Amino acid sequence: MFKKSLIIAAASAAMVAGGAQAAAARDYISIVGSSTVYPFATVVAEQFGKTTQFKTPKIESTGSGGGLKLFCAGVGVEHPDITNASRRIKKSEQELCAKNGVTEIVEVKIGYDGIAIANSKASPQLNMSRKDLYLALAKDVPDPKGGDKLVANPYQTWKDVNASLPDTRIEVLGPPPTSGTRDAFAELVMEHGCQEFAFIKAMKKTDKKAFQAACMGIREDGAYIEAGENDNLIVQKLEANPNALGIFGFSFLDQNADKIQGSRIDGVEPTFDTIADSSYPVSRPLFFYVKKAHIGAVPGIKEYLAEFTSDKAFGGEGYLADKGLIPMPEAERGQVMYDAKALTPMGAL
Amino acid sequence: MHTPILILVLLGVMAFAFHLGRTRSLATVGGRTGVRKLHSLPAYYGFYTALWAGLPALLVAGLWVFFEGSVITSLVVEGLPAALRDQPPAQLGLLVNDITNLANGNIVSRAVDADLRAAADHMNELRTIGKMALSVVVLSIALGAGSLAWRSVGPSMRARNRVERIVNGLLIVSSLIAIFTTVGIVMSVLFESFRFFHKIPLTDFLFGLEWSPQIALRADQVGASGAFGAIPLFAGTLLISAIALFVAVPIGLMSAIYLADYAGPRLRSYAKPVLEVLAGVPTVVYGFFAALTLAPAIRGAGEAMGLTVSSESALAAGLVMGVMIIPFVSSLSDDVINAVPQSLRDASYALGATRSETIRQVILPAALPGIMGGVLLAASRAIGETMIVVMAAGLSANLTLNPLDSVTTVTVQIVTLLVGDQEFDSAKTLAAFALGLLLFIVTLGLNIVALHIVRKYREQYE
Amino acid sequence: MPVESNANRRRAIDVVNTSLKKRYAREARFRRLGFGAVILGLLFVSILFFDIIGKGYTAFVQTHIELEVYFDPAVIDPEGKRDMKEIARADFRKLSRNALRSLFPEVTKRNDRRALDAMLSSGAPHQLLEMVRHDPALIGERRVIDLIADDDIDMLIKGHIDRNAPQSDRRVKDQVIAWVDELQKQGRVKEKFNTGFFVNGDSREPELAGIGGAAAGSFYTLLVTLLLSFPIGVAAAVYLEEFAPKNRWTDLIEVNINNLAAVPSIVFGLLGLAMFINLFGLPRSAPLVGGLVLTLMTLPTIIIAARAALKSVPPSIREAALGVGASKMQTVFHHVVPLAMPGMLTGTIIGMAQALGETAPLLMIGMVAFIVDIPGGPLDPSTVLPVQVYLWADSPERAFVERTSAAILILLAFLIAMNTFAVIMRRRFERRW
Repeated sequence: MFKKSLIIAAASAAMVAGGAQAAAARDYISIVGSSTVYPFATVVAEQFGKTTQFKTPKIESTGSGGGLKLFCAGVGVEHPDITNASRRIKKSEQELCAKNGVTEIVEVKIGYDGIAIANSKASPQLNMSRKDLYLALAKDVPDPKGGDKLVANPYQTWKDVNASLPDTRIEVLGPPPTSGTRDAFAELVMEHGCQEFAFIKAMKKTDKKAFQAACMGIREDGAYIEAGENDNLIVQKLEANPNALGIFGFSFLDQNADKIQGSRIDGVEPTFDTIADSSYPVSRPLFFYVKKAHIGAVPGIKEYLAEFTSDKAFGGEGYLADKGLIPMPEAERGQVMYDAKALTPMGAL
Repeated sequence: MHTPILILVLLGVMAFAFHLGRTRSLATVGGRTGVRKLHSLPAYYGFYTALWAGLPALLVAGLWVFFEGSVITSLVVEGLPAALRDQPPAQLGLLVNDITNLANGNIVSRAVDADLRAAADHMNELRTIGKMALSVVVLSIALGAGSLAWRSVGPSMRARNRVERIVNGLLIVSSLIAIFTTVGIVMSVLFESFRFFHKIPLTDFLFGLEWSPQIALRADQVGASGAFGAIPLFAGTLLISAIALFVAVPIGLMSAIYLADYAGPRLRSYAKPVLEVLAGVPTVVYGFFAALTLAPAIRGAGEAMGLTVSSESALAAGLVMGVMIIPFVSSLSDDVINAVPQSLRDASYALGATRSETIRQVILPAALPGIMGGVLLAASRAIGETMIVVMAAGLSANLTLNPLDSVTTVTVQIVTLLVGDQEFDSAKTLAAFALGLLLFIVTLGLNIVALHIVRKYREQYE
Repeated sequence: MPVESNANRRRAIDVVNTSLKKRYAREARFRRLGFGAVILGLLFVSILFFDIIGKGYTAFVQTHIELEVYFDPAVIDPEGKRDMKEIARADFRKLSRNALRSLFPEVTKRNDRRALDAMLSSGAPHQLLEMVRHDPALIGERRVIDLIADDDIDMLIKGHIDRNAPQSDRRVKDQVIAWVDELQKQGRVKEKFNTGFFVNGDSREPELAGIGGAAAGSFYTLLVTLLLSFPIGVAAAVYLEEFAPKNRWTDLIEVNINNLAAVPSIVFGLLGLAMFINLFGLPRSAPLVGGLVLTLMTLPTIIIAARAALKSVPPSIREAALGVGASKMQTVFHHVVPLAMPGMLTGTIIGMAQALGETAPLLMIGMVAFIVDIPGGPLDPSTVLPVQVYLWADSPERAFVERTSAAILILLAFLIAMNTFAVIMRRRFERRW
């Protein structure tokens, strides 16, 4: 009994030691990054694995920041080749990359993701402006009694915000402040909405910090519920609670169109077409970044790029569009395709 | 020879050495009849020989395999033409990757030229040599050390004591792993935590009553507020854990008592493993159950009674978590209750006590330290549980004692902060490490107190 | 005097007798309470299981469409060389498309045709390719084949899409429903056992996605965990319980172990990232690293349970063994450890079950990944079952809901198999002092 366990322990110790040596070679592409791009990248990877002689790339969902951290850690097989991002790379990240020897990065824009504000089909569809959303969700809003000063948000129901909206409690499930979706929402909806007030707009020139604090701060008194990154869960919670609204990616609205409906923003309903022609105002670009030094060292990167930027993938009727990615206009796509083929590295930000 | 086969051969050598050592010990005293003249039992001589044959060789094999890769790589690089060798280290690493892929027969991304092919062949050659050398070295060490040990076998050699000393050493090493783990954890969170406390004062973090890490996501942006007070997080964690224990301790303890002292052997043999299933259900599943089945039900019930219930109430997460930890309480208390000597029960029955009186007044006090241990284990699971609260408890850091309100926990915040899209050197990411460190320290404190209590009330039956 | 003492004794019995009813009632109440607790626990188990089974059982069948496919040589192998490499590159989509279109010759508009084509899974052409690979003689033949249907059609057949909802709210349009009804009338829609679900790796198409890859990953991860944590855990428990001198060092170790059991699993993930990946340079997403992290995580659980089991062996056993001249080591390994084995196994089961269902620490070491190829060893990139559940639960496609539940069912099946095995082991040893 004792001897047996000793033998097993010894054998497994040797096995573990044996593991250390195999870290050297890698014959598959390693991709990390944003959970928003993940559903699209995986489709391309699967297609790529099936139609070429290369292995299927490994894709991790780490969030844009975590992905860029891994990506910028250095050149070499132990570092990923590609990172997906739901926002552009930042200056500080580019600097870190450069510090670690990752100097040439190819940026590929793949399309747009609409951000929907939706509720259960059991309730009426809402039609609101970005100003309404700003007033409903901001931490401090202009005093409803008048005057150019900010007060803590007093609105409790949608009707308080805008008389044409229903008399239900403001309850919005949305992403946490660590999320790129939240960042985009703050920029596209909140900042835009608050500029409707002249005195806040004037602040932009005089006191930028105060302007941004006024515009982008989201209330913390329970009306805005941070609901994590699991968009499916938000959809199911919306179904269970007809009074609540949720903020999430368009692809989830698309897949669950029988349960939830997107609210009209500034009179425009979020549909595939309105996002593509940018009449629906709340959408953001998606990217991925390729380490140029790895092209020619890890097999298949060029071919993966070609697959991703091919018409059948991110084109107007490509398979990514079926998964909910909003394609770019034809001309922009051509430019991206050209840059990806030429492997033009991006300049300094 | 492949490494796994080598290890199998080595195991064979050990078994053979065991046999030889044992036979020799008997032979030196003239067979079975003289076995009394031996210092130790014959098997100990076998173990002694086997351990000497096996352990040094395994150690060498382990070290060899660990360093083999880098040695071969540097030899291959050495053999490259100068033009290829004089590259920055990162580029060289990628080149080596290609060579390795080529040597393994995998797809290579660049055009295969003569140099590359030569390097790959060189690598394969080195590998073959390495494998052969390893086999030779390891087997000769095994045979050499084994035969030395074998020769020293004799009636006066204290084989048992020597074997026991080696075994004792192994046991000590095993128990030290816990220390290494702790040191590792502290090391891996300490550094980032210091960077965090460089940005946010320690006192703000420890005593702040507001948690709202809404600082700027980008340099050109301003968030609402950047409050990093950890108190609401810990309050939320404790609230949810308390609810969980409120569910789990009565149910778990009562079912343990019933299964130990009332239930027939049949019920016991079926019910116990079925209850243990609850501990193994993946927490992701509980999370969905809490978020989608229980939380709406509680909300509906609450609204029917005229209460405002958050759709992510602490109650839902706590109840489901309670269900999850029932088996931790019941399984471990069951073992402890079974361990109370039958004589104590018999004595109590002989005095005319009923079963429940025996349980309440004799068995429970005797089993208390063990039960406390089980409850503590359950509590620690509750505090550290992540997935249930991620899905069911939400992210709003309210400082409240109302179980119908939405609270957040430390683990939820760690996950959210670490998988977010923000910059990785922002205070937000670093806060996760600081929270991890603080959580670690808090649980350490709790455990020291708990162990102290357990010791104080421990009763001995000797 | 005797009279008085008699009277006294009678009084004591009276006291006992009068209180007896109350005591028995309390006894019965206590017993019912205990029984209730057990029933409540079992009730939770059954609710959970019924909920998941109810959601997931449909994933074990998959809708297929029976079509007559013509393996057109002009499409597969126009040059007639029967070269497999060339054939693999042929457009097999044409074959399945043509087969379906021939049933609906009236569909001619481009958009309608696209909708019609979309009824078949993107895995269907691959299915045909595999058949040709297996038997090249098929080229030029006609065969009746069950082709995999698209996940939307699958959901429609299984009743997860509401036919009565307005068309704009449905993923499946009226036109497609009409086609499906037509096919059903012809008896071409079949529900077949979903083998792919068990053997395939992950996929973004729900009808092609399987848990084969994740199960293999879980297997390797748990193998590493079990091989390391059981012997180390038992050894550490034996040392601390039986041999360790009671001093400050062993106190420190004890506090440490109890504390490690309370450390949230995600912190072990941080440790794994810093130590195994960054320091030792082990590959990300490898079951080996996952196994090491889970070993460190489950060790405290196993050690604590094993110590409790050792503690429960009565001292008389040890004294008896020592009394007949056994050494301390012999006493422990020949008598105490075998007697404590059932308890140690219980602890190991709980530890393993915990490891099998664990997600959080694996988030940090790169195991939350999209991996199509099935891992062949503890160093290949892979994911594990609970992570697969987590990933699928986050996928937008409706058909992943039932697959998520089905994956949970498989996970639970593994768990129950492990438990049963351990229970059998334990029952052979269990003993009461």
